[in-house]
Amino acid sequence: MRIILLLLITAFVIMPLSTVGAEKAKTIDELAKMYDSSQCKSCHAEIYAQWEKSHHARPLMGVKGGLMLTPLALKKGEKGATAFSEDDPKKMKISNFPCFKCHLPQAVTSAEDSVAAELAEALLAKDSAKVGKLQITCMVCHNEKALIHKRELGAPEKGVIYGNKDVASHAGGKIKKSAIMKDSVFCGQCHGLGPNLEFDQAFQCANLYGSYLHNYVSGGGTKSCQDCHMQKGDHLIAPNFNDDKQTSELLAKALTLDVETLGYEWLRKAATYVPKVVVNTKIVSSAGHRIPDG
Amino acid sequence: MVVTASYKDKDGKVVENKQERHYHPQATNCRDTKMKYGAQWKVANIRDTAIQPHQPKKETIEFELPDGVRSADVTVDLFYEAVNPDNKYPIHSIKKTVSLDK
Repeated sequence: MRIILLLLITAFVIMPLSTVGAEKAKTIDELAKMYDSSQCKSCHAEIYAQWEKSHHARPLMGVKGGLMLTPLALKKGEKGATAFSEDDPKKMKISNFPCFKCHLPQAVTSAEDSVAAELAEALLAKDSAKVGKLQITCMVCHNEKALIHKRELGAPEKGVIYGNKDVASHAGGKIKKSAIMKDSVFCGQCHGLGPNLEFDQAFQCANLYGSYLHNYVSGGGTKSCQDCHMQKGDHLIAPNFNDDKQTSELLAKALTLDVETLGYEWLRKAATYVPKVVVNTKIVSSAGHRIPDG
Repeated sequence: MVVTASYKDKDGKVVENKQERHYHPQATNCRDTKMKYGAQWKVANIRDTAIQPHQPKKETIEFELPDGVRSADVTVDLFYEAVNPDNKYPIHSIKKTVSLDK
């Protein structure tokens, strides 16, 4: 009996934390609770407030309150329905929402198909409050997406927060260093290379990281996404397309426009002059990626 | 980007001529030749006129004026559109008066 007890205790101690409580969420509320990061707010109020205004806080809401995943939830055959749609929203599964790869990565690892069905019904009911519960919270970036060398490092440990450095003593849980947290590749996990060909129905969302690699780095660019979009640790990670003024200012900072004009009379043929205005424009970008992209 | 050249015709009526340039990646579903909007429809870019790093975007836009018109007001508006063309974020607006007289 003692030996069995010892074996059980040993097994529990050496069992990776990630397998403890590995049960998946069955509802939107359960998934939201599983990745709830509201406890971070008490100590990191400014960062939390920045994040609350960010697109990461409303990854399924699109721009200005839109419910961007609605076409997927439409019934198959209905106008606007997609290849991912089913004839009944109750049949929707996690695999019917390939957008979860980036817009809700925790659904891929931690949600049952019932969450997809509930989301489909919420989208059709235009239930923004329910859809809005699904967010890319602190724990999605600082845990779920923090490691990309899983064959060497293993999966992110449950309950561990990944940051720029190790912090043994931290009120919200142990902090471990992620080598990629300050690198563009971290953002590139979602802010895309191009077509997502790994799915049975290929699709394409953001190309931004591809543009960064192939047009910015290739031209000698050395800044990271974080250097420009997370200055001083800003977790708004602008642009915020719900803020028109701020978005215009950010774009004006990234793009210069030079205009030169010429007025003259063009000699089309003998004695036939055509009054003409020529406008030369030149746009120069200081961004590290294609504009527009996402 | 919208470039507008406006001038007064011989009757004093203001005439506006506009030319547009659109800068963005353009994708199809690779099953037909129609451009698609929305990640769920797109598969791959077939054309990319977006503004890229290290690659200044230069245009030469010409307007022909009617006989007798000797000047035009030129406005270049650069803006960003998100989701649909009605949702615009102004970036720059530059106005110039162009004369054909010395």
